[in-house]
Amino acid sequence: METDKNAVAERVSRLMETVPKDRGQLLPALWRVFEEYQRIGPEMIEAVSNAMNIPYAEVFGVASFYALFDNAAGHRPIYVCTDVLCALKGSEDLLAVGEDAAQGAAVALKESPCLGHCDGAPAMFDGHRTVRNATRASLMAMIRGESHA
Amino acid sequence: MPETRRLLPALHTRSEPVSRERLTERGFDRAMERMLSMQPEDIIAEVKASGIKGRGGAAFPTGIKWAGVHAAAGGTRYVVMNADESELGTFKDRVLLEQDPLGALVGVLIAAHAVRARKAYCYIRGEYREVEQRLAAALTILAECGWVGPDAVDVEIRRGAGAYIAGEETALLNSIEGKRAEPRVKPPFPTNHGLWGAPTLIQNVETMANVAVLFAHDVQWFKECGTPETPGTKLIGLSGYVRHPGVYEVPFGYPMTNIIHDEDLGGGLSGSERLRAILLGGAAGTFMAPEEVEASLLDYGSLSRYGASIGSGALMVFDDTVDLTWVLKKLARFFADESCGQCVPCRIGTRRILELLDQEGLKTRAEDLRELALAMRDASICGLGQTAPVALLSILDRPERQGA
Ligand SMILES: Cc1cc2nc3c(=O)[nH]c(=O)nc-3n(C[C@H](O)[C@H](O)[C@H](O)COP(=O)(O)O)c2cc1C
Ligand code: SF4
Ligand code: FES
Repeated sequence: METDKNAVAERVSRLMETVPKDRGQLLPALWRVFEEYQRIGPEMIEAVSNAMNIPYAEVFGVASFYALFDNAAGHRPIYVCTDVLCALKGSEDLLAVGEDAAQGAAVALKESPCLGHCDGAPAMFDGHRTVRNATRASLMAMIRGESHA
Repeated sequence: MPETRRLLPALHTRSEPVSRERLTERGFDRAMERMLSMQPEDIIAEVKASGIKGRGGAAFPTGIKWAGVHAAAGGTRYVVMNADESELGTFKDRVLLEQDPLGALVGVLIAAHAVRARKAYCYIRGEYREVEQRLAAALTILAECGWVGPDAVDVEIRRGAGAYIAGEETALLNSIEGKRAEPRVKPPFPTNHGLWGAPTLIQNVETMANVAVLFAHDVQWFKECGTPETPGTKLIGLSGYVRHPGVYEVPFGYPMTNIIHDEDLGGGLSGSERLRAILLGGAAGTFMAPEEVEASLLDYGSLSRYGASIGSGALMVFDDTVDLTWVLKKLARFFADESCGQCVPCRIGTRRILELLDQEGLKTRAEDLRELALAMRDASICGLGQTAPVALLSILDRPERQGA
């Protein structure tokens, strides 16, 4: 554990090398950490706190504020929009089907509020790409990690 | 009627969205040159004369805001483009940035010159990663032209991370400053006391794009569309039970019902093809009955007769199979989840509304719901808490709309 923590501290401080050390860069700094680990755990918060010279509680307060950073297990997130327009197009059923399929796969299937693609409902998002007019097939492909879902 | 494409590039546009040719084809290079030859006061006078109002929801006159930032004391100033777009049913800024990212950015540069800012931020929601890349590519083009960079206006893209409240202007400032995206108490307003206490101009993406097309033409051209009260066009995000959901650009003053039915716009109702209601303006929008839609024009005055407003331009269409109580519950859950929790009326009120609706209180507890709504409107710090019950109230005021 100790070596893990040291390894994280080292990796995070390397990630922070090109980030200016001012408070206004905290959100971009957290994004770098998240892109590296797909999660922001206590050891990463501590490392960011040290590297940026911002108190731990402040870094924690900011990191925990944002929904996209809420991904404790570090599994690949898949957001299915279950907001009004997508729900009318069956996204809640899609989510239920996905939940079965996601069992055992290293993905975190989540509900999302409106993804801003209501004209292509139902919409889903894997942290980088959006899939519009999602179907069971495209959700399964996303769960399997196929790039052209 | 065919769409009026001004903010969106004409369908016969040949150039790539992110290219030098696009700057020329859309007249944005002309806009930049014209603007650079003008004094800030004259730029602001032109924005005022155009009658542009903010397109992010509140419809505040843009020129007046610019004059406020221009007149504010202090050497350092900032410009912020709000591309957080997380309002339910709203996707017009995404489409605008996909189709013509240079336009909104040219608007940012014009704004920066007008208020003498050397630094601008584009705050984009973290779910718009593809759009963010396009925005970054567009900035590279503008840097090559010498209009963006350390010796001109430095423009930084700031990626949000999943928080609806971050779109509220003062919460957005806190987010950029590396703090929790919690709204600040106003006054002071960002125009005087924004990023790091400096005067800051915040505008929606579509507002910036309006400025760019204004400077690519002139005030007279700009006012050829729209109404005397509200010149120009509006991007409408049309969704739900219409044949062709999508973003459409229509002049202010256009009949609401035509937006849904025109062949080149919504193409008519889908689903059961019988309209139950529309929800206009987003999660904090207003439900309108079919006969109200029929009698309204797309303008603030016309819609206010029914207590409605254009808001972000979201127009959600529900056929008569949709249970509006179900929609209200969805909205209530959204606000309860997205309240930042800073002030009690909103934190407790959004939860309480959800509970009452879950207990089917829409009919039995209407007076309690109204009282709660008024308390939230009067005592919440920011627009989220103040307007969270608006859609609910619009249903309470239209009891015949409640039934499933
Ligand atoms: C809860 C909440 C969320 C908001 N989200 C956005 C948003 O995503 N985009 C936006 O442009 N304005 C949003 N606004 C409005 C902004 O506070 C602000 O009025 C707007 O960006 C000003 O730009 P405009 O004058 O060009 O419309 C939001 C307001 C509230 C209360
Ligand atoms: S009204 Fe709601 S969202 Fe706004 S500051 Fe208060 S608690 Fe936060
Ligand atoms: S409601 Fe799902 S993308 Fe808007």
